[in-house]
Amino acid sequence: MSFEESFLNEVKSVFGEKIIESKLFKRRIFLKVNPENYYKLIEFLVKEKGLYHLETMTATELKEGIEIIAHLGVSTSVSVKTILDKNSPKIVSLCNLIPGAEFYEREIMDLLGVVFDGHPNPKRFVLPQDWPSDIHPLRKSFETRHNQPLRNVGGE
Amino acid sequence: MATFDIPIGPQHPALPEPLLLKLEVEGETVVGVDFDVSYMHRGIEKLLETKTYFQGLPLVERICGICNAAHGLCYTLNVEKLYDKEIPPRAQYLRLIVEELSRIHSHLLWLGVAAFEIGFNTMFMYTWRDREYVMDMLEAITGNRVTTEYSQIGGVRRDISPELADKLLKTMNVVEERTKYYIKVALTEPTIAKRTQGVGYLSPEDAKSTCSVGPIIRASGIKFDIRADDPYAAHEEVPFNVITYDSCDVFGRVVVRAQELLECVNMIRYALKNLPSGPFRIKLPMKPNAGEALTRVEAPRGELLHYTLCEGTPKPYRYKVRTPTLANLGALRAMLTSKGRYVVNIGDVPIIYGSIDPCICCTARVQFIDIKKDKTWTWTLDEIRNRSRRMRV
Repeated sequence: MSFEESFLNEVKSVFGEKIIESKLFKRRIFLKVNPENYYKLIEFLVKEKGLYHLETMTATELKEGIEIIAHLGVSTSVSVKTILDKNSPKIVSLCNLIPGAEFYEREIMDLLGVVFDGHPNPKRFVLPQDWPSDIHPLRKSFETRHNQPLRNVGGE
Repeated sequence: MATFDIPIGPQHPALPEPLLLKLEVEGETVVGVDFDVSYMHRGIEKLLETKTYFQGLPLVERICGICNAAHGLCYTLNVEKLYDKEIPPRAQYLRLIVEELSRIHSHLLWLGVAAFEIGFNTMFMYTWRDREYVMDMLEAITGNRVTTEYSQIGGVRRDISPELADKLLKTMNVVEERTKYYIKVALTEPTIAKRTQGVGYLSPEDAKSTCSVGPIIRASGIKFDIRADDPYAAHEEVPFNVITYDSCDVFGRVVVRAQELLECVNMIRYALKNLPSGPFRIKLPMKPNAGEALTRVEAPRGELLHYTLCEGTPKPYRYKVRTPTLANLGALRAMLTSKGRYVVNIGDVPIIYGSIDPCICCTARVQFIDIKKDKTWTWTLDEIRNRSRRMRV
């Protein structure tokens, strides 16, 4: 049995049916859970399995909702996915568990408008400070062409 | 004692990157820090969704000028995972050679910048002169000094001829000799020791909890290198040592980077000696298979991550890039707000900031909108060619 399979079995022995979907590649494990089990699974991976390194967090707007992926791992990369409601995306913040999650979560807040519960510093991060608060560029409804009215900023 | 807020940047002579550092100072010591990196968002992730995988490569290379080889490599490896095709081993070795060459140039550039920050201008001039040997080799191999675009989806763009390999080996001898001298200087020169030892302290626990990457975490004594932990390209076959240093300060980062140069030189020599024969590129169809792929590459600044979600169309549904500087921002805050013995003086802020080898353009990859000019225009291919010719002259 490969390392990925035995790792998946160990996780499944604790979480069982809570893992909705799993995919294995060479040194890559993708796990999907419901939003209520997201924090518990990551806590287990960080504390019991020693995956201290949070590589990054990805958010994608899919047809069924907004997908959040936390990529964890040092050698083998374990990605924990969950799907949130598109209209009011909300999920618990990982900052208490992994302080390094702060900037990744702030980036997602700006670009997709996901609310992270319990985030210590939920401020603007990558977008300009005067960017409208209800426009999120990585949403599929945001078009890359100039659909925003041009603003007069003065100057020469 | 009352505290003051000092804003440094986004345009400041001491910090050559568009970052606003809001320092909270008490007398001469830093007690708090906040960042604003929002000056450079170019919208590259969004823009990649509008281009096919093949069209996206030149754009990805331009996320960062200095680690362009790492970005191009990570992108091509990531897209190739969506096809069930094996890439020729010769291509993987050639990719490794160019990647390590670009690491040498990046580390030499950083050593120069760091020396400049601490007022050691001789070293700055030495390292930048020696970097030119490497840049010339990059140009000879790839055709370009900076944006090399060497790694392509399915292989590499050009082969290395035996004559070029000889020339490269000779250049490696020069680089090795100079690097040994720099290591000697870094370890013995009192200017460097006084300005860097005990400055910018990052404990191993903080390095882990802030998820820092690259030479930063290795200078805190933690063995974490993607080339060893999650090997890609030809790294599974080419041996090297992971350099760590346990002083946890800027001095450690200087030593780690300088010693990594020697490892790069040895890897290039090994790869040239054991270069497999065969094709260096295969053709791949426009449409990859549906699925997702995650690739990590050890860029000169640390772990670089690309993730893509593909629905079986020529264009990506989502393309995500996480650059090393973003991962190291948490570590930078931990360094700047050290307490007790390692408390930070204002004068040390530039070198501490410089020690993570920051690249804000990488961090806030995003969209370029000229809001003053309500005008759009296009260039034909010929016009672009003419301009590139003019620039080359």
